[in-house]
Order: sequence, then structure tokens, then C-alpha cells
Amino acid sequence: MPRFQSILSRIVILHIVAVVITSILMSVGLSWLLSYATNNIHNQAMQEQANAVAEHLRIGPDGQLQLNLPSDLLGLYSPEYGRYSYAVIDEHGAVLFSSYKDQSALFPADQRWGEVEFLQQRRGSATVSGASVSKTIGDRTVRVQAGEDLANRDVLTDDIVADFYRDVGWITLPILLVLLITDIAIFRRALRPLREASDIAAEIGPARPGLRLPTKEIPREVRPLVSAVNLGLDRLEEGFKIQRDFTADAAHELRTPLSILRTRIDVLEDTEIREALRHNVEGMAHIVGQLLDIAELDAVAIDPSETADLQSVAAEVAEFVAPLALAQGKDVALSGASEPVWVKGSAEMLSRAIRNLAENAINHTAPGSTVEFVVEDNGKVSVLDQGPGIAEHERKLIFRRFWRRDRRKAGSTGLGLSIVQRIAELHSATITVENRRPNGACFSLQFAPVK
Amino acid sequence: MRLLIVEDNEELAELLAKGLRTAGYESDTLSSIEEARSVLETTFYAALILDLGLPDGDGLELLRDLRHRNNPIPVLVLTARGGLHDRVHGLRSGADDYLVKPFALEELIARLEAQLRRPGQLLGSSLRIANLEFNTQSRQASIDEQPQVLSARETAVLELLMRSKGRVVSKKQVEDHIYGHSGDVGSNAIEVYVHRLRKQLSDRGAKVLVHTIRGVGYLIAEDK
Repeated sequence: MPRFQSILSRIVILHIVAVVITSILMSVGLSWLLSYATNNIHNQAMQEQANAVAEHLRIGPDGQLQLNLPSDLLGLYSPEYGRYSYAVIDEHGAVLFSSYKDQSALFPADQRWGEVEFLQQRRGSATVSGASVSKTIGDRTVRVQAGEDLANRDVLTDDIVADFYRDVGWITLPILLVLLITDIAIFRRALRPLREASDIAAEIGPARPGLRLPTKEIPREVRPLVSAVNLGLDRLEEGFKIQRDFTADAAHELRTPLSILRTRIDVLEDTEIREALRHNVEGMAHIVGQLLDIAELDAVAIDPSETADLQSVAAEVAEFVAPLALAQGKDVALSGASEPVWVKGSAEMLSRAIRNLAENAINHTAPGSTVEFVVEDNGKVSVLDQGPGIAEHERKLIFRRFWRRDRRKAGSTGLGLSIVQRIAELHSATITVENRRPNGACFSLQFAPVK
Repeated sequence: MRLLIVEDNEELAELLAKGLRTAGYESDTLSSIEEARSVLETTFYAALILDLGLPDGDGLELLRDLRHRNNPIPVLVLTARGGLHDRVHGLRSGADDYLVKPFALEELIARLEAQLRRPGQLLGSSLRIANLEFNTQSRQASIDEQPQVLSARETAVLELLMRSKGRVVSKKQVEDHIYGHSGDVGSNAIEVYVHRLRKQLSDRGAKVLVHTIRGVGYLIAEDK
């Protein structure tokens, strides 16, 4: 038994085999039925002929049987016509009358004759087929035989049987083929809910964990599979939810004590200690924030249908970091596209990526320099600084988690750029790092523009 | 004038109340949405400091509820969720401002006062940076307590900048503030007003700077 890849091809192949077998059986059966029916008609006719001959049997005045056939019947049984023949025999098998010249019987006598017998007999080169009917005339019982030479059988009946395959038998094949095509259509239709379910299944991912396969239209035979898959998806979604809840809980559990600490420091009387502690707590808050970002990004996925305006996201980030930069004596500027630039992705994630690039740039530049954001119409955003730039051998290292060029420098976690990279990964965006002349670095993110 | 703090962490709530008392504001503390809802129905507060993660639900529900019933109380939202877009979401739900934990007490008080000084709110209508003062009631600017005469456009720009102290005001916001939403002005005009205002302030000895954040907007800050 060959292995079929699809249910449909299995059905089609098996169906074709069934159609071939059925059409052979049907033709054979039909032709048997047809010849049975024609034989019946022939036997019926022969019996009637025998009865018609018997009508003309009389007992003569001499006590002997007489047969006086009218002229039309005589013509029918004439040897010239040669098609039909008759004979009358007595109970001992002696031939009383016969249409044959040699006065022979059509069929030999048989003691076990019933009321009506249908018989066949070879006569020389011809085959005579007919009926033998028992008749009682007066006190004598005779058998009247009537037959037809099969070689000269009724042309019409003969043609029907002979041409059956050519004229009628072929019709079974197209009928069965139409049936096959109809069945293929029915099966395709029946399988359509499965194809639709497949399309939905293709959409399911971390970004849309809530999608489930529809069970309503699915054939009952396949429903257990679909239900089991849905239950599996429920468990996966639950796993995702636990991971996300953990991140959210962790954010709350870490940020609230930090808030308490921060506020407690803010109400301290001693200005010098207060400023020192503030600086420490701010650094810690920064690290906690970035760790939470990393944890969240590991559990999150981007909805592929989400879009964001890169221009307004960049403007928002520039607004957000500007006071920070100004406080350190640095400047921020935004240039490039002035109209919305729509890209595929989450505005929240884009904003975090650009913010980390910006904070990184601000931290690595001297007071008096400018950090510039450039948004291009093709979905590219760049952050340019006037810092020391990135050496060739460091360009891979900088995206590693916790990598820092100068470990003694406070306030840097080494997480910012790995957050940027993770967000780029989630968006299938490309990051490029270049050095500027005379000095400075340029980080660019190329997102997929929305057409 | 009393403030209401809705924060489920008692220690933080107490510290905030203490910090606000030092700044001259008395406050009550509650720890659940249900309590806050019933208290706000009967008691008048000047402003609400609302934590989002509460034991009986999300603080934003209470906020939507209040705004649905047309309660105009200024609401300052506190949250442990950090994203910029979370902030936008919070503001759309009817929050007047938004602080991410951990925040500086000074920042909280500054944001709170900015809300309380809005027209129709209780606090005096005077905004101050260094020796520059702006009265939102009379729309009068003073430097070293000396009233100054500024053009109507300059006054409008100054008012917007003073209200948004510590934050960037986008060029679009300035346009909307001066011309309303209908106006289709050349963006050059705004540059001109800001330039004139900057010159007026420095000529008259105000110890403030109006920074231009190119491509983004403007920010007023003390000139240190």
C-alpha cells in the first residue's frame, strides 16, 4: 500500500480504483441482464407461437389429429423463410406434424416434460432455440414445439445485445467520472475548515498568544485534534502570562522600596549626605529599570500588525531626554523627516531603543556638545554624538550585556545597548555603528517601513 | 487645602505625606480603590496622588470613573511601570501628570504645584523661576518683583514655558497656544517670538534661559 501525503490524494486514488472496478462490474452485470431480458422475450414469443400452432389442432372424423394451419402461419414456418419451425409430437415421442421436410422434431422427447419447457438444440450448422408446450386435445396429449433459428434471430434484439458496449456501456464511465469529480469537490469543501484553521494557526505566536483554532466548523472526526491543540495553546499562554506577570510584579516589588528609599532620602535634613545618597539611589534605580527592561524584552514579542510613527517617537524621546542633557550642559537636536514616518513595530519598544541610544550618547559626550537625532523617510533613525567614537574591535562587544569600556565609571550598567539590540532583533531591524569625522559615533536603526 | 494620597504601600504613603507636609500641604492616605471611591464622593480634595498598582485593581479604573462623572480633581499618577508610552496611556485615561517610581520628592511637589496653579485650581496663580515670576491670573510677568511690560505674543509664550517648567514645550504646542488649532502659521513666526522673548528677559536681568532644542521645541530653566 503506497503512503499518501494528503487525504485528498488518497481519496482520489482509491476512488479511481473503485470507479474502474464498478464500471467493469456494472457493464458485465448490465449486459447479463440485457441478454437475460432478450432471452425472456424470445422464450415468451416462442411459447406464444407454440400456443398459436396448438389452436389449429383438431381431432378429425377418423379420430386422428389434424393440423390445418392458415396460410399466414404456413408462410411463417415455410422452409424458404427458414427462420421459424414447429413440430407436434405425441406422448411417445412420435412426430405427428413438422415444418421440417424430414418430418423431424425440434427437440428430442423427454419423459419429464413439464407444462412448458424452453429448449435449445443444434441442427447441423444452426442452433434452434424455442419452447415446448404440453396440450391436451380431446383424449390425446401432445407437445407442440416452436423454435427459431438463432442465426436468423430478430435483428433488433440482436443489435441491442451486440452493440450494447458501443452504444450504452460507455455511459457508465463518464457518469462515474462525474461522480468522482463531484466527490473531490465535496471533500475539498469538507476540508476547507481545516485549511482555515491552518491559516489561523500560522498567526499564532508569542505576539498573539490568545488566538485559538475554531472548533465550530471543523469536522467531528478532526475535532479532538483541534481541541487538544487548543488546550496545548492554553498551557503555553499560561506560561507566557506567568513570565510576564513575574516581570510586572518584579518591577513593582523593586520600584516601590526604591521609592521609599528615595523619599526617605529626600526628607533628610543633612544636605551633603542627602545629595550623596540621592546620587547612589538614582544609579541604582537606573540599573533596576534596565534589568526590568531586559527581563520584559526576553518575555515579549511584537504584534506583527503594530505600526508606529518613528518621527513622533523620536521627537518624544528628544523631549524626554532634553532636560537631562541640558542639566549636564549638553544639547539635543532633532532633524530629518518632518512628516510621520510609519514603520512596523511597537511605539513603546521603539521609544525605549531610541532612548537608550540617546542616554548612551549623552553619557559619552563632553559638555557643550550636541546629541542629534535624525529620522529618515525610509524608516531609519540615527543618534549622532560628538564623543570618542567606537573602536573597530569594540563594535561587537558593546552590545553584550554588562559590557563596559570603563568599569570604574559610575552610572553605566552596560545594559543600554543590549536592550537596543534586543529591540532591534524583535523588530527585524538592523543596527549599524559608524564613527564620524572628526570625532563621534553614529548609531542607526533601520526599521521596516509601512508601505 | 488637603491632598489625597492613594498608595497601598503604607510606608511610602506616610513618607509622601511627611514630605508634602514639609512643603506646606496636608494630606490623607488611603490604600484601596474602594476606600478612595467612597471618600472622594463625600470629601473635597485639592488634588489626588494615585498609585496604579493597588490591591483591589488598577488605579486607572478609579481615574476613568472620576472623569466619567466629570470630577475635575487634578490627578497625579504614580506607577512602577516605566515606559514613555505607558505615560501617554495614563494621560489619555484622564491623568493630568505622571511620575515613574522611584521619583524625587521635589519633582512630585513641582508637578503637583503646576497642577494646583492651573486656572480654577486653589493654589495662588504665581509661577516662579529664579527671579522671574509670572501671575497666571493677571498674566503679569515680574523680574525681581518689578512688573514688566511684554507684548501679548511674548506673554503667551512665556506663560506656556513657565507652566511647563522643567519640560520641553514642542513648537507645535506653542503654535496651538498662540493661534489655536486653526492657525496655519509659518514656523518661523514662533522662532521670532521666542527670540524676542529671550532678548527681553536677558535685557531686563532675568536669571533664566530659554533653551531651543532644535527640531523639538523650547525649555525654560534657571541660568546657573
